[in-house]
Amino acid sequence: MIQHMVDGVLVGSIYALGAIGLTMVMHMLRFANFTHAELLSVGAYIALVFDKLFTSLAPILATKIGPLSMTLALSLAMIVSMALTAASAVVIDRLVFRRIRQRGDMLSMVFASFGVALILRNVIGLIFGLGTTLYSKDIAFAVIISLDPLLMVRPDQIAVLGVALVLMLVLHLVLSRTIFGYALRAVAENASLAQVNGINLGRIVVAVWLIGGALAAAAGVFYGLTNQITPVIGRDLLMPVFAAAIVGGIGSVYGAAMGGFLVGLAANLALVILPSGYSPSVPFLIILVVLILRPNGMFGEARP
Amino acid sequence: MMGLLSYLVFFSTVASILAIAVLGLNLQWGNAGLFNGGVAAFFGAGAYGALILGGTPQEVHLGGFGLPFGVALIGGMFAAGALAWIFGRLTLRLRHDYLAIATFGVAVTFENVMRNAQWLSGGAQGIRGFARPLQAELGAGLSYNALYLAMVAALLILTYLFLQHLSRSPFGRLIRAIREDEEAAQSLGKSPAKVRLTAFVTGSVIMGLAGGLYGGFYAFVSPQDVLPILTFQIWAMLIVGGAGNNRGAIAGAFLIWGAWTASGWALSKFAPVEAQLYAGSIQYILIGSVIVGMLLWRPQGLFPERLLVSHSGQNNRTYKPAGE
Amino acid sequence: MKKTRHMLRMGVALGLGLGSFGTMAAAQDCTIAVGAVLPTSVDWGRPIAETAQWVVEQVNGAGGVNDCQVNLILRDSQVDPKVGVDAAKALVDLDGIQVLLGAVSSGVSMPILTSVTAPAGVMQMSCCSSSNAFTALAADGKDNDLWFRTFATTTVQAAMGAKVARDQGYKKVAILYKNDDWGQDMGKSVAAFLEALGIEVTANIAINDAQPSYRAEAAQAIASQPEALYLALYPTEGTAAVREWLSLGGSENMIMANALKSEEFRENVGMQYLGSALGTDTASPREDSATAFVDAYGAKFGTAPTGPGLANSYDATMIALMAMEAAGKDAKGPQIAAAVARVTDPAGTPVSADAAGFLAAKAVFAAGGSVMYQGATGNVQFDANGDVSAPAVVWKFGDAGIDEVEFLSLTEVDAFVAALK
Repeated sequence: MIQHMVDGVLVGSIYALGAIGLTMVMHMLRFANFTHAELLSVGAYIALVFDKLFTSLAPILATKIGPLSMTLALSLAMIVSMALTAASAVVIDRLVFRRIRQRGDMLSMVFASFGVALILRNVIGLIFGLGTTLYSKDIAFAVIISLDPLLMVRPDQIAVLGVALVLMLVLHLVLSRTIFGYALRAVAENASLAQVNGINLGRIVVAVWLIGGALAAAAGVFYGLTNQITPVIGRDLLMPVFAAAIVGGIGSVYGAAMGGFLVGLAANLALVILPSGYSPSVPFLIILVVLILRPNGMFGEARP
Repeated sequence: MMGLLSYLVFFSTVASILAIAVLGLNLQWGNAGLFNGGVAAFFGAGAYGALILGGTPQEVHLGGFGLPFGVALIGGMFAAGALAWIFGRLTLRLRHDYLAIATFGVAVTFENVMRNAQWLSGGAQGIRGFARPLQAELGAGLSYNALYLAMVAALLILTYLFLQHLSRSPFGRLIRAIREDEEAAQSLGKSPAKVRLTAFVTGSVIMGLAGGLYGGFYAFVSPQDVLPILTFQIWAMLIVGGAGNNRGAIAGAFLIWGAWTASGWALSKFAPVEAQLYAGSIQYILIGSVIVGMLLWRPQGLFPERLLVSHSGQNNRTYKPAGE
Repeated sequence: MKKTRHMLRMGVALGLGLGSFGTMAAAQDCTIAVGAVLPTSVDWGRPIAETAQWVVEQVNGAGGVNDCQVNLILRDSQVDPKVGVDAAKALVDLDGIQVLLGAVSSGVSMPILTSVTAPAGVMQMSCCSSSNAFTALAADGKDNDLWFRTFATTTVQAAMGAKVARDQGYKKVAILYKNDDWGQDMGKSVAAFLEALGIEVTANIAINDAQPSYRAEAAQAIASQPEALYLALYPTEGTAAVREWLSLGGSENMIMANALKSEEFRENVGMQYLGSALGTDTASPREDSATAFVDAYGAKFGTAPTGPGLANSYDATMIALMAMEAAGKDAKGPQIAAAVARVTDPAGTPVSADAAGFLAAKAVFAAGGSVMYQGATGNVQFDANGDVSAPAVVWKFGDAGIDEVEFLSLTEVDAFVAALK
């Protein structure tokens, strides 16, 4: 049971990173963005490419950091990937979403995001093939923390949790201490009023996509590190990430983070009660329960 | 020529069945503004319900009551309606995107249950032992398919007429009034929750009808028939055809299903042999591009006689009264 | 108004385009069409289609079927039943095929059989559909004797898995099975056979497709403290689940179903952990025909034919083409289906599974005789329901490929299964 809870928290950190970006976009731009989850795939694959590149350029970078299976090359690759994925999120917005925003309604946006997701996923499949790849073939063994109750954790997972928390802390500081953060929150609160005060809406939108894309890339790399890389990462993580954002309440960054951990916990604890065949339903049962009790999510607010 | 006719009959049957489901969705979204992300669940409830009631007894799973097809169909519709009623009561007051995800969750759970509860549904292997209605008497072949198409087309027309009538009736005005301005309607003594639930359940019953016809046509249903891609396909049909417009719904069904099948056919005919293996991925990219392209070109759909005003937050759309 | 006119024009153009179909079959060089509906947009589906294409290539190189070049028309099923059924219907009605290869998943093969091929009198040969619902259907006569599959039912594999567990002395086994029609069947059968042998099944856990993490399932399996793990999984989720299992300190004692006989699995898990892993299969590497297949596949594609369904796909395609040859020119589906018996006659002239074998068979058919096809999955024999039973093999991963550990002939397998029941 404790093992399940620990596992849940650890996998939840990945969901949390994905959900934060999603919740910001959903709140700012007012549509359910089905493309967001594909950014995790994009991030994972870009990192794969650069990881191989860096390793072949400077083999010294292939050394692992401590007990982790993360190498220096991969860390660098991840940073590059965060930047590139962020940029591609802005490009997609420019090419598709902005135009539809101007002429269509929320539904069209949702559908367009579905269409773009299909395209991204299959382009990745065409380029990289449909099979499974890994950053590192070595199996990272779990360390036994305690024997009774049996508790085993992989160093990778702790590292992922740690870095995820750091990223969330950085975001928190930006949102609460910097002018830029205030501007973001102001726009989220009331876009027209914020513009009256001189905030450039276009730039804020770009910033939201950049932050969302970067966090998604990090989530994708962490997922690839602790599981495996396939073109369908986006499809598989779509629902847990959505569940996390909704449970936390759209628009609340802290809610998304909490939601991520909650969904992770629920998915792992579910096995105690339900046969594993029903696992995919668990995020939704959580959503249903939370929304029945609090129709706007845990920290969300009713929209004006 | 006979081959072409036979194929078109088959294609039209499936497209018409899907069109019935799109009509049901149009009632929920186009009229009542309810974002139903779980179309597959209600469609599936209709299919499974009809096949369980109408099939031959099986030791592997429940069912085999051997009821006549018409009765089985109604049973399936009832199952869909019951499912909609239970979950509608719980979730309809949620806002748009939350409702979408909650209903999506219903569909995922439905598929899960059908996949795992082998005593109920045959599990991943699906329902066995269903014989198509009157197949023994009429034999298989073009004439049978043509008769089935006639039945489906008749039901499609009936559903269309029913929904048109509903749309013009006081109840139709009530649904739209509640969608426009819930508080005003409440102040006049109407109960929005009840009205929305009625619209939701009615739409779902129509989807159940489509599901039952689907199951009957293929004489088989399995969890693979109720995956999220089905929900996506039905929605795409509604969006492309024009939400809020029943004719648009039917046109959208034929168009999207036509594009979906034609793209596969075209790729197999014209792509070079080496590329055939990648045709599947290419087809998804094409479909994604068609959808995005349509939305960029005509975001209101092909038949935009009615544009929708949804809940607050959107102020770039106008509403035109129903002329259809 | 403009809109409507525009759409009318488009409609007419489309109609004309479709109408030209009928006239396209005009006399050119003689070609004969064979249809295939396979999931090419799934990673393990592509090699299955590639293998079928390869067979057609070889036969065409040897002069084709009844002196006509074979045109294999490949459609993607997208693992969506209505897409697969529509593709099959298009193949039957518009391309006039008499033989359909497909599909892979039972959820697609079944509606194709019930609503397209059986009503139209087209022979359907599946490499990979495992549901025992087909056996029931065929036994009821609803398939009009048109259905065949080169995929042995799960009973044999499950029994072999249990035998391996017994021979290795495992007393407690946990099962991880893929949550689809094949996997559910395997999970149930393996559990039943293990218990019949007195081995405890500590856990029987469903592994869902497309799940982001299998950590919880692996943890649950470990917690039940088994000595060994039985895996009825495909390479994608198999890799993920096994890596989780091993990282949690799970035992290296594993028994694998044939779907895990895959390069991808071996690569991503690593030989260092697969030393005690044994697999079962219904291919028979010992026979020359099977090794010939492995060698030829390696020469053609540069890798070993690991991965689910490849040998079965090869045999399905070759047997279908041979049956078409035996039935003669302009034969219809039912006649081709009836001719399958002349291809898989145990008393017939043995022929190999390549172009040379095809030519040899051609000569035998012309003389009115029958052949015994020795294929990639061994000597294929269909029973009255279109099912195959096959000898069994236990294998393990070797440095260069797959090594055979044990071989049981058909009679031995049947005897073992009978003893268990």
